[in-house]
Amino acid sequence: MSNLHEHEIKKPKVDLNYSSDKKPVHSDPSPEAKPLPKVTIDGKAYEFKPGDTIMQVAERYKIHEEIPRYCYHPGMPIAGTCRMCTVEVEKAPKLMTSCSTPAGDGMIVHTRSEKVLKSRTGVMEFLLTNHPLDCPVCDKAGECELQDYNFEYGPALSNFKEEKRVYDDATTKKLSNDVTLNMNRCVHCERCVRFTDDVTKTNDLVMVNRGWHKELEATTEAGLTNEYQGCLTDFCPVGALTWNDFRFKKRSWFLSKKPSLCDGCSKGCNIEVHSDADIVYRYVPIHNEMVNGHWMCDSGRNSYHSYMNPLRVTSPLMKHNGELHATSIETLLTEVKAQLKNASTVQIVIGTDATREEAALLKEKVPALIGKNVAVSYFNGTNGVTTAADDKKLDNLLKMKDLTPNTRGVEEQGLAALANGEISADVVIYFRSGRAGIPKMKADQKIILWGVWSLEEIKSLPSKNILAVIAGHATIEKAGSYKNADGIVQKFHPAIVHRGGALSAHQVVGVWQSLT
Amino acid sequence: MGTINISKKYTAREKAYLPAILIGMKITLKRFIEGFLFRKSFTIMYPEQKRTYSDRFRGMHFITVDPTKTENCTACFLCETICPADCIHIVADEREEENNPYGVKKEKKPVSFDIDALRCCFCGFCEEACPKDAIKLSGNYELAVSSREEAIYDLDHLKRNMNGRQEKI
Amino acid sequence: MFDLSMMMAKIVVILVGTLGVVPVMVWFERRGAAWMQGRIGPNRVGPFGLMQPLADVIKFIFKETFTPRGANKFYYLMAPIIALIAPLCALAVIPFGSKAFVNGHEVILQVAQMDTGVLFILAFAGLEVYPVILAGWASRNKYTVLGALRGSSQIVSYEISMGLALLSMLVVYGSFNPHDMVSWQQGSLGFIPRWGAFVNPIGALIFWISIFAETNRLPFDLAEGESELVAGYHLEYGGMKFAAFFMAEYVAMIMASALISTLYFGGYGILPGMEFAINLISNFFAFGEVGMQNTKAVFEFISLASKIAVFMFLFVWVRWTLPRFRFDQLMDLGWKILFPIALINLVVVTIGVYYFNS
Repeated sequence: MSNLHEHEIKKPKVDLNYSSDKKPVHSDPSPEAKPLPKVTIDGKAYEFKPGDTIMQVAERYKIHEEIPRYCYHPGMPIAGTCRMCTVEVEKAPKLMTSCSTPAGDGMIVHTRSEKVLKSRTGVMEFLLTNHPLDCPVCDKAGECELQDYNFEYGPALSNFKEEKRVYDDATTKKLSNDVTLNMNRCVHCERCVRFTDDVTKTNDLVMVNRGWHKELEATTEAGLTNEYQGCLTDFCPVGALTWNDFRFKKRSWFLSKKPSLCDGCSKGCNIEVHSDADIVYRYVPIHNEMVNGHWMCDSGRNSYHSYMNPLRVTSPLMKHNGELHATSIETLLTEVKAQLKNASTVQIVIGTDATREEAALLKEKVPALIGKNVAVSYFNGTNGVTTAADDKKLDNLLKMKDLTPNTRGVEEQGLAALANGEISADVVIYFRSGRAGIPKMKADQKIILWGVWSLEEIKSLPSKNILAVIAGHATIEKAGSYKNADGIVQKFHPAIVHRGGALSAHQVVGVWQSLT
Repeated sequence: MGTINISKKYTAREKAYLPAILIGMKITLKRFIEGFLFRKSFTIMYPEQKRTYSDRFRGMHFITVDPTKTENCTACFLCETICPADCIHIVADEREEENNPYGVKKEKKPVSFDIDALRCCFCGFCEEACPKDAIKLSGNYELAVSSREEAIYDLDHLKRNMNGRQEKI
Repeated sequence: MFDLSMMMAKIVVILVGTLGVVPVMVWFERRGAAWMQGRIGPNRVGPFGLMQPLADVIKFIFKETFTPRGANKFYYLMAPIIALIAPLCALAVIPFGSKAFVNGHEVILQVAQMDTGVLFILAFAGLEVYPVILAGWASRNKYTVLGALRGSSQIVSYEISMGLALLSMLVVYGSFNPHDMVSWQQGSLGFIPRWGAFVNPIGALIFWISIFAETNRLPFDLAEGESELVAGYHLEYGGMKFAAFFMAEYVAMIMASALISTLYFGGYGILPGMEFAINLISNFFAFGEVGMQNTKAVFEFISLASKIAVFMFLFVWVRWTLPRFRFDQLMDLGWKILFPIALINLVVVTIGVYYFNS
């Protein structure tokens, strides 16, 4: 299996490019380039590319303290409205917003001078005049930028004696089925408005009225309609926009966060799995400029539900007296072996949601174990996709037509797609990790299911002759690699521990080998 | 090595032993007469009489309610977070509009709020952490139960107006 | 026939009197202890908690009777029986009055008239060691054996000082018969009664201390030693068998109190001042000689009972005052202090009596 690793993409050595031109600055330095200009931040000189702002330079070099910001987001255009990121630039008469001030050669910047800190305290005090003190019931508490920056820079006391502004209508307003708006908490950074304007280009959010009455509203009666609403709730620096699926489910500080991959489509967005006691509460995108930037779509965000399904099969099941019963993997494989021996034709179908390692295993090891001439093919079956060639972008951002994560990776094993999308042999082993579709089959065909299955899916299968179900691991529970639609191979590690008696494909094959 | 031998010289009076016995018997006789004739005792007749502990005594928790009997708890999980014994378990949900007389103040509510009194160490951190003064420790120290399950108190039990509860202000 | 019925009547008086006092003593021990310790004591069952012993008995009766595995069943059952019967037998020779007239017959108020009465008592007091060692050994338990060994060696050791103290009194009285002893103690030494305790105070003290050890009462309850032996020799006894041990302890206390009263404190000899009351009543009802003797017998019984009551109270009082002795201290006290003093006392008393008589 050593050949699997040749295809791994060489990641940039320093993955620091937050600018919009998508080219890592340091990955391809041309030897004849002129010496880069330098800017001094907090007493240390940093090289930068002409055109970078102070904020971008600071981000790239990860200077000792993050410059606080509300309106600035690396994935969106610069607005410069919140005034939180102001820094002191020598010889400049006033404090400058670091997000919008281009760095200049020889510029001397102080990010934590007394003047800057005083300015930040002032900004915080103004933001807090109208911010309600409802952190206990706010879902953002614990990961809230307002909380964090207030803790660091905020004033201990407020000079504001008047009554706080309350938006009566927009206190708990549903912007869509997925997003709830609490306008009282809003600090008017307008990240959400810029996101719909410039990233999704759907223009479905707008700030109406001015000053004291400034309020976020959807532009259409239907409310938010774009497919990336979850991102709004991710980057909202306060708890103004909250994700209904996660609302009130768990406080953020209980969550343990592990990186993994979204397997909802062939894009392979990089995600962080937020879980507590191995129960997943949400997926959050993590930045990978090569794949998904900062974003992920809502259907991918919700895809963890199928893995947390209480009806998911978590232990090996075997047919006995016409019904499926839980059993040990040894018993199950012994029975399966006998069935395979008696069968005249055996076919192995690999869902395109199998990892590259699993696909190789099923193609090479399992036929040898069966000891017959076994036809091995792959099957996609989502959105009418058969091979990777059918895959195409559905919008200008992330969404793909192919809803399985590894069609290219499975194809790469030299397999052919299942002819007509229909299984033909007497006994068929179908391996699938919860995402690939169900091939056409006859009602009396003997099927051995392997991977991630739920009882509902098993009941709805055309074939009523299910010999056994070998419970497997979902993407977030296993390690492996996927090759995404852009040909990028991404490795991942388990984010949570699987429940019940589910076994990885390698474990199952190991047991199978030990039986012979 | 490490041992200290203390030898005490006994006086003749101490060696005679009987005077000391007589002194002791004088004391017990005095106590006997006090108890017999004047009914002097330090006993608290427990089920009828209750011991009053200091105001700072930390007994079983209770959840304060407002005049509409709605719990003050907003399910912020701060008590569950601070609890060193992991004895508080909360499930939160949105409070329905009609049960929400205070509007925005109580948009979140505990669907279930369980305290495992067997795990609890009565440190009072939950009371300290609570931003709404919703969970408090009463002076109730009568926590005997006949099974382990009974020691897990749910929201209704914590909200009820217990007899003999010393509510602390 | 008359003698037999009188004998039965006397036995019934002794039995009922003794066994009837036991529950009261149990109650008094617990409440007395409570008072001395600033508590209230049992006060729930009946008035002042007086029915508490009854409740205890009901509890004892309904408890499971079990025999520990590997126990010697015969000796295991024998031990509480001996413990209860031996002190009751010893009570047979304690006179509880001089004599009464019933139907014109003279009745000596003593169950068994025998000239060697005191020896009889000593013999049955000596039997006290058997229940301890039988219970301890037959229970097949380490703790009971330890308690039995400690208890039996203690009883045997203190029996010697007790016997010597008794011997000194026998020298004084010149008789084994309890009646003779009591009649010797009639009269007065100037302003105090002519009681053995005033004639031979050291002997009385030694005897008194020794009966604590003989009855296994604090500060000499090493046979039970809860803190180190769980419950000592009767650890494996429950229900009524334990109740028998429990009662036996109180019966032994009554026996010991009766014995020390008879030997040193004038026995049934009426207390000073009672003479006047007897005369008053006899004259008021115009009793003859018979009636006067019967009245006197009643007062003699009251005198003995009150003396016993005082000693019973002393038992309780001492128990809740003094802590338990350590075993070596107990042996030191018995062999190095009480035994020599008792021996010297015997010699001194004998010489005194010899000179006094000659």
